[in-house]
Amino acid sequence: MRYARRAATILALAALVATSACSVEDDPGSSSDASAKCGSGKDFLIGMSQANNAEPYRQVMNDDVTNAAKSVPGFKVVVSDAAQDNSKQVADVENFLSQGINLLIISPNEAKPLTAVVKKAYDQGIPVIVLDRKVEGDAYTAFIGGDNVAIGKAAGEYYAKTLLPQGGKVVEISGLPGSTPAAERAQGFREGIASNPKIEIVASQTAEWLREKGQSVMDAMLKANPDIDAVYSHNDPMAEGAYLAAKAAGKETAIKFTGIDALPVPSGGIKAVEQGRLQATFQYPTGGREAIDLAKKILVDCAKDVPKTTTLGTQQITKENAAEVYTTLGGKQ
Amino acid sequence: MNSPNPTAVAEAPPETPPRRRPIRLPQDRHAIVDSFFRFQSLFGLVAVFVIAIAVSPVRNGESVFLSSGNLANIVRAVSEIGIIAVGMTFVILIGGIDLSVGAVLGLAAVGSATLMVDSGMAIMPTVLIVLFIGTAFGATQGAIVARLGIQSFIVTLAGLQAARGIARMWSGGLGIPIAYGDGPQEAPQAFSMLSGSINGILPVPALLFLAIGVGALLVLRSTAFARHVYAIGGNEKAARLSGVPVRRVRITVFAISGLLAALAGIIHAGQLNQGSPNDGAGYELDAIAAVVIGGTSLAGGSGSMGGTIAGALLLGILNNILALNNIDANVQLVVKGLVIVAAAALQKLRPRIA
Repeated sequence: MRYARRAATILALAALVATSACSVEDDPGSSSDASAKCGSGKDFLIGMSQANNAEPYRQVMNDDVTNAAKSVPGFKVVVSDAAQDNSKQVADVENFLSQGINLLIISPNEAKPLTAVVKKAYDQGIPVIVLDRKVEGDAYTAFIGGDNVAIGKAAGEYYAKTLLPQGGKVVEISGLPGSTPAAERAQGFREGIASNPKIEIVASQTAEWLREKGQSVMDAMLKANPDIDAVYSHNDPMAEGAYLAAKAAGKETAIKFTGIDALPVPSGGIKAVEQGRLQATFQYPTGGREAIDLAKKILVDCAKDVPKTTTLGTQQITKENAAEVYTTLGGKQ
Repeated sequence: MNSPNPTAVAEAPPETPPRRRPIRLPQDRHAIVDSFFRFQSLFGLVAVFVIAIAVSPVRNGESVFLSSGNLANIVRAVSEIGIIAVGMTFVILIGGIDLSVGAVLGLAAVGSATLMVDSGMAIMPTVLIVLFIGTAFGATQGAIVARLGIQSFIVTLAGLQAARGIARMWSGGLGIPIAYGDGPQEAPQAFSMLSGSINGILPVPALLFLAIGVGALLVLRSTAFARHVYAIGGNEKAARLSGVPVRRVRITVFAISGLLAALAGIIHAGQLNQGSPNDGAGYELDAIAAVVIGGTSLAGGSGSMGGTIAGALLLGILNNILALNNIDANVQLVVKGLVIVAAAALQKLRPRIA
């Protein structure tokens, strides 16, 4: 029975791994209930359903939520990752409901597929805070998100007044075609530079949010427009890619680069500004801290009326304030 | 208590005088071991189920894991992967692989949404057209494999790209939302039953998965087609020489895989109220994992449909209990990886019976 014994050993080991992994945390569902009343001095379980941990912006959002929750006594946050799969995110929320969460924070992968399960949670009396991307209808407690038009406009005004007051030739590197943030960041920028007619957008190409595509697109645009003054990029990684292309052509000092997002991570835009590759970047807030603030109002302070929609402002980051903002936003050194 | 001492039994001297070379019947010994390996995924399923009960969080004095709502969620969550895995089992049994199924699922979801919402078609024609597309796609891949002798890995890798591309072109790159009603740009209300449950307990997708699983199990048990599938996977040349219509079986197997992927895509669209061209990415790997955990050899020729069904359920229970216990998403990936390796390792240990 040599085989059987070896097989049994492996099975036992596998079982051990599974059990030990499962017993890392004690059962949080036991102390909480979906219908638990609000109030201070109580324990609350908050489910954070994330669309895709693999995007740095969403990882920062998770970090903001969990870090902010640490300062609220009684708050316990559990995070699930749907890995960009709508079905998985539906199952994640269903699992949260089985566990008896007291509040749901969700950043939906897509609106339509997640609407039904968000409504299900809301109809069970669980407060739902939707972050960054909306769901359809109004079966949720509150939505918190950034305003991409305002961000684009802030960038445009920076170009008009500070970066290129004498005017100049600008190329735009845009996000994924068809995506709302790309359209809004383009629209806002045009509104922002309108006050300075000497600024001209000589080319606009998409790099689909990707650093490597930012590089290849910039390569091509440099050949077509050798006298570019500045590059307006819809996010920081594409701006970094464009910078690399300009550097390869020996033009990195002649051209000014700006990005958007300003994530407080070592590979993010704030560090790129601090280190001089980008002239400026504009923060696209995650809303993670604001979500926990709102959760505290609902669960601890028993607030009945919370704003249905919270639009977050942006913040301009230049060399002067980069290091300070990086610390304020909780970036790791 | 007078519990019998098990060691006493083992130490009891044999009643017959000891022979110099005790004759053992290898078949008997192997029969026990072999049946263990044959049903390894079933044992694994029971083991994971028992562990899940043991470690399940308790709410209001009841096991969260065992609550009927949670069990329904588990089967619903694995139904799409499970249906795909049933088709994948046939393909893997002939020694092939089908990497296109996740993309075909996305294509079918887009097709369902477009035909009903944009073209205003009824449910039956929509379903038939989408199933036909999936079957034809699979059969085409099978024909390329069978006629040109290209490895199925390559052919279906190309098929994955093609199906994804067609889905994106058909949908314009964006998900097509499905609204229900009788008006224009609305799908028939009955289609939404795919996200519903029978008597509020058994989710419709779960019922479809179990029905298809049992059907495939019966097919694989007792038909000439099944014997041909095993024969090709075991030794293709021998199968051909003994008169098995190898090409036809190949094409049929890939057609089945495409058909079931399309069915999963229809269910997907019905559950999410949307047909998105990017959905189903990576589902082929989950389906392969279910087949492997089910004890089917990637080399072909050996394995069972019951194993695949058990493998899919095992993965579902594992996902669920890890989530219920709030295990970190990254740790979950590692645990799943370990389970797949453990299942494959068990297969390696399986004694070869000459």
